[in-house]
Amino acid sequence: QNTISVQGRVTDASTGQPLIGAGVVVQGTSTGTQTDANGNYTISAPADGTLAVSYLGYRNAQVPVDNRSTINIQLETDTETLQEVVVTGYGVQEKRDVTGSIASVKSEELVRQASQNPVSSLQGKVAGVNITNTGQPGASPQIRIRGTGSALGSADPLYVVDGTFVNDLSFLNPADIESIEILKDASSAAIYGVRAANGVVLVTTKRGKSGEATVNYNGFVGVQRVTNQLEMTNASEYATAVNEKNGSELLSTNLPSTDWYDQILRTAMIHNHQVTASGGSEKVTYSASAGYLNQEGIIKGNEYERITARLQTDIQISENIKVGYNGIFYNYNSDDIPGDIFYQAYVAPPVIPVFKANGRYGDPVDFPIGNFANPQASLDWFYQKSNGQRLTSNAFGEVKFLNGFTFRSSLGLNYGIDEYTNYRSRDSLTTVQFATRSLLTQRRSKSNMWLWENTLTYDKSFGNHEITALLGTSAQEDKSNYFTGSVNDVEFNSEANLYLDLGDPETYNIDAGGARGTFVSYFGRVNYSFLDRYLLTATLRYDASSNYPRGDRWEYFPSIGLGWRVIEEGFMQNQTIFDNLKLRASWGRLGNNNIPANLYRSTVSTDPRLGAIRNGVLYPGWNINTVPPATLFWEVVEEVDLGVEMGFLNNRLTVEADWYNRKTDDAIFGVTPLGFLGLGGQIRGNYATFRNRGLEFIANWSDEISTDVSYNIGFNFSRNRNEVTGVAIENAAFFNGNLPVGGYQVSITRVGDPIGSFYGYEVEGIFQNEQEVEGSAQPNASPGDFRYRDLDGNQVIDERDKTIIGNPNPGFIYGINTGFRFKGFDLQLDIQGVADVDIYNGNRNVRYGNENYDKDFFDNRWTGPGTSNSYPSADLTGRNLDPNDFYVEKGDYIRIRNLQLGYNLPTSLVKSLKMQNLRVYINAQNPVTWFDYNGFSPEVGGAPVSQGIDRNVYPLSATYNFGVNATF
Amino acid sequence: CSEDFLDVEPEGEPVGEEFFQTPEHALLAVNSIYGNLREWNVSAFAHLAITTIASDNAEKGSVPGDAGFMEEYDNFTLTATEGQLNGYWNGQYQAINLANQVLSNVPLISMDEALKERLLAEAKFFRAYHYFNLVRTFGGVPLRLSVPQPGQQEDPATLNLPRASREEVYAQIVQDLTEASQVLPATYPAAERGRATKGAALGMLAKVQLYQENWQEVVNLANQVEGLGYTLAEDYYSIFRIAGEHNAESIFEIEAQTIPGNCSASNSQWAEVQGVRGQFGWGFVEPTEDLVNAFEEGDERLDATILFRGETTPEGDVITEAAPNPRYNQKAYVPSFVTNECGYAKDQNIRILRFAEVLLMRAEAANELGDTQQALDDLNRVRVRAGLEPIESASQEELRQIIWHERRVELALENGDRFFDLVRQGRAAEVLQAHGKQFTPGKNELFPIPQQQIILSNGILTQNPGY
Repeated sequence: QNTISVQGRVTDASTGQPLIGAGVVVQGTSTGTQTDANGNYTISAPADGTLAVSYLGYRNAQVPVDNRSTINIQLETDTETLQEVVVTGYGVQEKRDVTGSIASVKSEELVRQASQNPVSSLQGKVAGVNITNTGQPGASPQIRIRGTGSALGSADPLYVVDGTFVNDLSFLNPADIESIEILKDASSAAIYGVRAANGVVLVTTKRGKSGEATVNYNGFVGVQRVTNQLEMTNASEYATAVNEKNGSELLSTNLPSTDWYDQILRTAMIHNHQVTASGGSEKVTYSASAGYLNQEGIIKGNEYERITARLQTDIQISENIKVGYNGIFYNYNSDDIPGDIFYQAYVAPPVIPVFKANGRYGDPVDFPIGNFANPQASLDWFYQKSNGQRLTSNAFGEVKFLNGFTFRSSLGLNYGIDEYTNYRSRDSLTTVQFATRSLLTQRRSKSNMWLWENTLTYDKSFGNHEITALLGTSAQEDKSNYFTGSVNDVEFNSEANLYLDLGDPETYNIDAGGARGTFVSYFGRVNYSFLDRYLLTATLRYDASSNYPRGDRWEYFPSIGLGWRVIEEGFMQNQTIFDNLKLRASWGRLGNNNIPANLYRSTVSTDPRLGAIRNGVLYPGWNINTVPPATLFWEVVEEVDLGVEMGFLNNRLTVEADWYNRKTDDAIFGVTPLGFLGLGGQIRGNYATFRNRGLEFIANWSDEISTDVSYNIGFNFSRNRNEVTGVAIENAAFFNGNLPVGGYQVSITRVGDPIGSFYGYEVEGIFQNEQEVEGSAQPNASPGDFRYRDLDGNQVIDERDKTIIGNPNPGFIYGINTGFRFKGFDLQLDIQGVADVDIYNGNRNVRYGNENYDKDFFDNRWTGPGTSNSYPSADLTGRNLDPNDFYVEKGDYIRIRNLQLGYNLPTSLVKSLKMQNLRVYINAQNPVTWFDYNGFSPEVGGAPVSQGIDRNVYPLSATYNFGVNATF
Repeated sequence: CSEDFLDVEPEGEPVGEEFFQTPEHALLAVNSIYGNLREWNVSAFAHLAITTIASDNAEKGSVPGDAGFMEEYDNFTLTATEGQLNGYWNGQYQAINLANQVLSNVPLISMDEALKERLLAEAKFFRAYHYFNLVRTFGGVPLRLSVPQPGQQEDPATLNLPRASREEVYAQIVQDLTEASQVLPATYPAAERGRATKGAALGMLAKVQLYQENWQEVVNLANQVEGLGYTLAEDYYSIFRIAGEHNAESIFEIEAQTIPGNCSASNSQWAEVQGVRGQFGWGFVEPTEDLVNAFEEGDERLDATILFRGETTPEGDVITEAAPNPRYNQKAYVPSFVTNECGYAKDQNIRILRFAEVLLMRAEAANELGDTQQALDDLNRVRVRAGLEPIESASQEELRQIIWHERRVELALENGDRFFDLVRQGRAAEVLQAHGKQFTPGKNELFPIPQQQIILSNGILTQNPGY
């Protein structure tokens, strides 16, 4: 047979850009090569053979040699989702080869959201991922992947930005992100073993491509307004209720009224700008960007400013050696607000004026109703500025050698500083808001982290076999510390005076602390595919963490994933229903290292509260405040995932469904010790087992009716069931969710119920008259009080009558995402919601005395026999404040998440402006939310064991933006 | 080497194994016991509610509806789930744990033996003091005398003690106080002011014996206390002012002080919660009309005990006419010239035991033993100081009533023995029902064991009758 030498160039069919590293093989043999930095290749092939050319993200091409010695090949971009490339952690994979459950959100989706935090952009986009947003500028939303699987450890996922581990994503501008991948099942996440128990969020930032430099501007300006503002009573209604409650005419019912929410809230501005330049030669590519965000909070005086800068460079030193660098710098400044301002505004009686006639702040002392902060005085008095800087960086070198081997070493460094200055002036605003000496408090915290990882990858095809193997090591150290100092009597003439050494040295006070953690890991993964239809992914990670004691700290985390691309089978060739059919199954174990520090060590409390005072001098008091468990093991997640992926109607309709069963074994769990042990808090060890089981369903329809008209509709839905399946100590229940009045605990974590379930009495009705009280199980009740169900029938209402009254773990989350394009116009509408979830209305329940009432309560309250059998009288005291199901409300909501209308200016016009592309848009983010809950916002969040208790939530606001996206 | 890399010490936090090694550690650990006395759970709401608001000396106070759960103590509608009550239980046991830490660990420290013995005696004094609070409030309680060892919590059931009997608890208290009194010094240098003394241990033991009606023991112990040189202060009012702290009759006080720049250590709220509402503090514990009327004509103690709306204090503060309650506790009053940078009245020591009470204990015991003269002598020392005429003679029964009454007015609103006194004297139902309270005999003499504790014990802890 005649073998000839063939050479040529592989390029992108639409742009003509060379494709570097494309694979060229002689079909049916193991002879192959890759294109060089110019896209050129040379290969020996039979004159009558066929070249198979492949490149990630492009359609494969088969080209007969036909005795030619020069063959230039153009590859078409693969637009079908099946050929989508997903980032899998230490590598990338075509989506069709993935055996686990990985969701991918691309930059176009993120940018369309016009939101400030990348995580909040994911809300409603990804099945199985529940995001609880917050309206607080600069704050990170809470994210839960496939339910809550940890009680005391963090239930947050691992975030990996370009290979570097970070704690949250608030430092990232969404416009810098190329894609976000969410590794949901154990088999996908297993490569991150120790840290992956709650899922992994992989963020890949934009990288430069060789070719002409492009400059992109992306910016928007908008206003934010609160929606669903909670209506409280006015002064006359409040006075009516308080007089009823106290049985006397404490207050006149015609006092002027203050709406404290109106008083502290405002319409707030937001603007955001980002410039990105990218491009490069064949050897060097770069992407650089700078961003600026300025966001006012909807609370007066709250403001957040963020500057982000990023530089990314890849250098092809030689054919086989590549190095690169990626650095993200972030700086923020914030004018803060009192942490409890929403609570203050909720409780503040409307009879208190903002200001009195004499110009002084309205004062609770003028009314016989108890002590309340004047929220306006709180805002005016509060001075706190915070700022911080963070550098997240990563440098790598990569060497290709032999045939198919790549060695890569990367070093990640994160360094961050956060600080705040708080000044409480010497002032007397009201009888409850005053200070006789000024107090300056400054805090500085610092964190640094290094991560060194080495991987060796082998990538090879042999006939019908395709194999990618990975071996790697990882070592990491995290370190952080803080220092808080305070001093009295610093004079505040300007911010330049705010130094601790300018105060009274007698009053210096210092608090300092820190944390350090180290990790060592070895890992390996094999991806194998046979005949392009039988897929296998096997992963093993061997991990150790300093959070666990010697002897118990090393653990293996294996996983396996299997895929069957049924569509490739011969028997599928003649059917016309499916364009894609793939089945997958996976199993894996993951560890949770994110547990409270020093669990296995007994530590000493040096709390100044326990210092002895003698003759006016404070002497420190120390004591051992913990009893460590005898052993401490890994909190281990084990998960099974079964999935199916289908394509119909020319892949215009794609459907993906997953079932999973996720079990957390040896979860770190706190058992409240008996009071007589004298240990506060909890005894913590590997005491519990949790299970999250659920279904995820995704359907997407996209169609191009003509070149002018196209549209897509996506629907995702997930169901999750959480349950505590075991507790090591018999009958142990873990109470949490402390409410401050009377120390009531609303949340319980116990076997058979979901984590952090609400626990309390069932309200049977309202006592209508004295006769009903007499002979009831509550002989001390008054008419208008709750009548609790006497579950054990012993004629006494006590702890034994408490039961599960609600579940804060969402049962259903869903999103509907649609897009329409007509010529230059595009319209996007995203809807998102949560259902089958409960909220505990802590604002209503937490009452010391004469707190304000919400309007719904006032309108429906019991005022005499027959007026209500569900709402109690205004006398919310005593046993009416025991946790009960009146305070548990449905937290279901549905929201228009994003409505955006964009217009791409015509190419001719754009070209004449020397631009490549120009798009303008208007956008409404969260304009409407529907819910029944009697609070500001149904998005409450909270720690796993005390979630869903609404006290003082900073609600999400509606944002209306105008934006421009221009490429030069 | 990677194992070394993975061994990470807790940052900025001493570790348990390195504690209780040196003499300094022994001192630091004992300090915690003192610091705990100022804690909310031990000295504020629950303490005031149990000892004083439940009695006929005071009502809840403050404004209607404010901290409504305090009404449950006032009216005896309290149930086992009330949260302050659980806090009180935990606060006392936290103190007992701190004392047990010292008693279990300090003996192993190599240090000056005399100092070691004294520190152990201090710990015993406080273990007894807190068990005494518990036994009076709840009756017999679990008697825990050592610290839990690492790993024991793997099976908390092994630590799940049932309630000891009232007698067993009292026996332990007597033992601890007896041992403490044999070691503690009569006085300390000025810089050590505030530590438990021999007089404190003997005086507290006298009170413990009084509750058990061991009359001869009470007399003997009171004699020993007197032998240490305590005398009555001349001016009753000044006893309760900051300048009067540790006066000649003071036997034990809980030290409280505004520590400049360290408000978290300036945390005693005993006086703050009782200060005049709207002017000084929160306004809880409103003295009753009944208490006002209990003072005889000319009793100087009335003005020193009760702060009336509209009055001008000797320090020149005018109590606002707008104050929501007509009366407040003057023993918790701190003049406005004293700093409130960490909140009102953080400087007010809590007077736990003073010599006047020892005299009244001896009077009561002597009367029971038939020694009328001793009883009258002691009684009259207290009466005369208050500007009253001495009692010349009385029958045993009359004198018993007179002494009980004298205890009430001398000690009113102070460290709050009134409710416990009424129970001890066997007339709680009579007095409190007459006062209009829903006191149920056979039930309300004790407070309920916090339901939270019963649940945690899996029912090993049993509830008091009637709850």
